[in-house]
Amino acid sequence: MAITRETFPLPDVDDPLVAPFFAGAARGELVVPRCDACARLVWYPEARCPVCDGSLSWTPVSGRGTLFTWVVVRRAFLPAFEDKVPFVTGLVALDEDPEVRIVGYVDGDPAELRADMPVTVDFRPLTFSTVPGHAVVVPWWVR
Amino acid sequence: MNVHDWGRAAELDDVRGAVAIAGIGETAYTKASGRTARAIGAEAAERAIADAGLEPSDIDGLTWSGTFADFDAGAFHDHFGTSHELWTSPWGGGMAWAATAPYLAAQAIREGRARHVLNVFPVAWATQRSEMTGGPGEVHAAQSLKQNLEVPFGFFPQPVYFASIMRRHMLEFGTTEEAFGAIAVACRRHANLNPDAVMHGKPMTLDDYLAAPMLAEPLRLFDSCLISDGGAAYVTTSLERARDLKHPPAVVAGVGEGYSGSGTHWAQQRAFTTTPQVFSAPGAFAMAGMSPGDVDVLTVYDPFTIVGLMQIEDMGFCAKGEAGAFVQGDTLHHDAGKLPFNTHGGLLSHAYVLGIAHVVECVKQLRGTAAAQVPGCEVAVYGGYTGHMASTLILTADR
Repeated sequence: MAITRETFPLPDVDDPLVAPFFAGAARGELVVPRCDACARLVWYPEARCPVCDGSLSWTPVSGRGTLFTWVVVRRAFLPAFEDKVPFVTGLVALDEDPEVRIVGYVDGDPAELRADMPVTVDFRPLTFSTVPGHAVVVPWWVR
Repeated sequence: MNVHDWGRAAELDDVRGAVAIAGIGETAYTKASGRTARAIGAEAAERAIADAGLEPSDIDGLTWSGTFADFDAGAFHDHFGTSHELWTSPWGGGMAWAATAPYLAAQAIREGRARHVLNVFPVAWATQRSEMTGGPGEVHAAQSLKQNLEVPFGFFPQPVYFASIMRRHMLEFGTTEEAFGAIAVACRRHANLNPDAVMHGKPMTLDDYLAAPMLAEPLRLFDSCLISDGGAAYVTTSLERARDLKHPPAVVAGVGEGYSGSGTHWAQQRAFTTTPQVFSAPGAFAMAGMSPGDVDVLTVYDPFTIVGLMQIEDMGFCAKGEAGAFVQGDTLHHDAGKLPFNTHGGLLSHAYVLGIAHVVECVKQLRGTAAAQVPGCEVAVYGGYTGHMASTLILTADR
């Protein structure tokens, strides 16, 4: 059960289920899997469409959404976050389908965050001082 | 969104009045004890069997947790030096399964596979955490989608998941921090009446709750359960047989089980501020021929205050979104309230033994032997919760 991957808690960009998500972020695109048959967005990623069993293609979306909920994390629950707290992590409901919620860091003063406020995606390198020499570009939500 | 779009109730046979809990056993509930879960489970099992007035050789059925794998048939025989045949199921133990284990027992008893079925659940997370060999967060971090799409963004572990649900409940329904505080304070009040509770002797007021540090705003320290070592067990048998044993039977009047259809990730639950209790509780009440108004004591799985609050709504004790107002004041108190709640102290202030002690508390309330006894308790209900799954157990006095 213990996690031995050296780059944890950076994402594993070689995991085939999520690799296209991070590859998209690296070129500045927010991509999510879309069903080739029924056109619905499938999130979290799966091998096939859970509704119609269609094949999936990673597809760019607008990168616009609304802030569904957020948390101001003040305690570091993992050593890697000790120099990151406090920070805001939240769930962003995509404009294309609000039932797709992307987890990400939310920029800005927590006191100014409001329910369902519009946010847009930016892309920034994520690093941890516990994983020196590694960075992964990830979606980052800004007002 | 129609609430019924996102999950379903399990179809269960009617077991009303068929079986009863005839024996209960508990270990000490502590911080890190240095003991293994297996040893804790053995002690709880031994005490439950003795409480029922039975011998280990009388136990011919065992339900345990396949997820935790801490007290299986091998552990039973090792401890008791027995070798007889045991009907077993790994779908027992704690969490949601603490409510449905008596249903499995009822089926096994009806089919003649067993007469006396023991359900055991031990946990040694306090010891494991201090030894860095595991704990509640690790299960989640090991799941690849959480590891790649949540943990890197600080959406981890459970306090953060449930803080996000708290926030959304506050945004949707105007639920206040005082409402969450009322749940924490009621649990602590009961723990202070219960010498077995880990937080016994540590009173807490609403002001104390509000003054405690935010771990993951809006979630404070005392919105979070303890991390504990301890375990409990109970023996289920036919009602007829239970009437011949030492203690008055706690009759299984209704069981329910409900599932979310939107997977096991909290971030992606379609009904974000609702638990699958909406699918579980109605079936249990229908089986028992009862309604929430008949309940004298409610124990619910309360890893965080928000989980208790949502289940109070989802089981029908008040309308959705209204628990914030409902729980304030003395509503949840054992002696004055209209819904005595987690009268042993709950996961928040009794011990984090994942719901097994909640069921034991229901039995004690029906026997009239609880530390914070509700006078004349005849109906005690446990609401179990495991994220995408919820369960309901309605126990009644034998009348």
